[in-house]
Amino acid sequence: MGLPVWTIVAGVVVLLLAVWTAWTLTRLRRLEARVDRARTALETQLRRRAALAAEVAREAAPLLGPERTAGLARAAAGARLPWTPDRELAENVLGRELRALVGELPQLAPALAADLSGTAQRVGLARRFYNDAVRDTAELRGRRLSRLLRLHARRPLPRYFDIDDSLGELVGTAGPGRS
Amino acid sequence: MDRPLRIGIVCPYHWDRPGGVQYHVRDLAETLRGLGHHVEVLTPAQHEESLPAEHVTFAGRTVPIPYNGSMASVQFGPISAARVRRWLREGHFDVVHVHDPAPPSIGLLVLMIAKGPIVATFHAATVRSKWLTAWGPVIRPWLERISGRIAVSDFARRLQVEHLGGDAVVIPNGVHVAPFADGPPLPGLTRGAGMPTIGFLGRYDEPRKGLPVLLEALPAVVRRHPDVRLLIAGRGDPEALQASIPPELRPHVQLLGELTEADKAAFLRSVDVYCAPNLLGESFGIILIEALAAGAPIVAADLDAFAAVLEDGEVGVLVRRGDPAALATALGDLLADPDRRADLSARGREAAWAYDWSVVARRVLAVYETVVLPGGGEVTASDDDADVIGATGPGRQPLRRRVRR
Repeated sequence: MGLPVWTIVAGVVVLLLAVWTAWTLTRLRRLEARVDRARTALETQLRRRAALAAEVAREAAPLLGPERTAGLARAAAGARLPWTPDRELAENVLGRELRALVGELPQLAPALAADLSGTAQRVGLARRFYNDAVRDTAELRGRRLSRLLRLHARRPLPRYFDIDDSLGELVGTAGPGRS
Repeated sequence: MDRPLRIGIVCPYHWDRPGGVQYHVRDLAETLRGLGHHVEVLTPAQHEESLPAEHVTFAGRTVPIPYNGSMASVQFGPISAARVRRWLREGHFDVVHVHDPAPPSIGLLVLMIAKGPIVATFHAATVRSKWLTAWGPVIRPWLERISGRIAVSDFARRLQVEHLGGDAVVIPNGVHVAPFADGPPLPGLTRGAGMPTIGFLGRYDEPRKGLPVLLEALPAVVRRHPDVRLLIAGRGDPEALQASIPPELRPHVQLLGELTEADKAAFLRSVDVYCAPNLLGESFGIILIEALAAGAPIVAADLDAFAAVLEDGEVGVLVRRGDPAALATALGDLLADPDRRADLSARGREAAWAYDWSVVARRVLAVYETVVLPGGGEVTASDDDADVIGATGPGRQPLRRRVRR
């Protein structure tokens, strides 16, 4: 007399489920670390951009006139919020101010202009890599089985970060702007 | 962040075999070294002795599998994994850059073993979507470890988005423009002087390179330009090719055989029109950029990758792929119009500079600098053998199925 077939089947199913769960938890843990790293990278680039904008506001005040200088300084100061929709708005304001600068870039100190366009390009890259990490996380968390087993269900889902960083397209890429 | 980086680049294909990805890795590594960074390469090769003495590490041999009209190479298993692990431990890299990691190769092994910032470039030159649809979900857990993805073309990016999940930045392949732009033509062959010439370069016995279409178009071109010559350069079986050319066309066809890099550049500087009649399977038209750099007017099939390089026909003529009549018309028209050729040549030379390695390598470097965090630590090899064992279980079965097929 052997075990009834259904117990064997149930045992196999439970075993497979356990293996899958362990594996998926490993993936989720790794993805969480990747999202954190990508967020740090994006934050680093955004801070650098804000600092450069503040520097431009100081250095190029005679060139820009009081009104635009004040606008730029205000936008640079505003881009220091925690990660909320307000932060995206503030970064967009700063992005707009910087895009308006494109015409004056050749008149800025060459090192500053190069830093600014290089940072703009890196903001674009960092944002894409961050959103990519968020997308991978959302995809795995959204699987039917992950939801059913409530894997990582209590942790907040990372937010996409959406800003218009098209300055990078304009001046940051020396190559054909086909990205 | 201007400190020099320690960069590890992984090439999944035999270093001593000619191939686009190999050249890409070699040139990228050289250019980055020129910018002051430390670059190590890990690659398989047919002969360990053929590797350069420094900064290139032997990773064993791959098993070739005929696939999609060319050879796919496969490399997997505990010995390769041990080599990968040792290379990662000894390298102390700030960032590791794998190329074409989707096939079961050392690139995929690195994804399984390495911990830390990983960048991947998707060339997808020999990957068919049917295969990717089945394989993509299997390797997805390891592709998730990539911090920054690069695709060499919009085509490669689309494959990536559709089958492997995740987005990628497009950074094109690089070319050393200067050696193509300046130099002498082939002896006895000067562009615009003497008999008109059409150039074809590639493995002419691979049907997807499209030589049969060009040969079918040739009689109509000969009718308009009775002294035209078609120069064929590249690897293949010359006797089989001669046999496939109708006797009346033979005086118009000349086989040059395989060319050295220097002769290839001279060849591209010599021909009146360069023709790329490819039918499919090109992810990136590196040869077209080289032809542009050499100032050769181009007639090419309208593959997506070619259309992107030729800026939708702005710097070269695009014809419907696999259509000998359209190809004959385009070649005949261009050979009859020296002004248009001069115009295309001038615009092409300028367009090619956007692909110069000095420009492209800086864009790749910007990706490295984005994923490497200040004080983030170096790339390490996981001790966790379960990572690799877990991979060989589900990973090997589809592979075996493929091999049996």
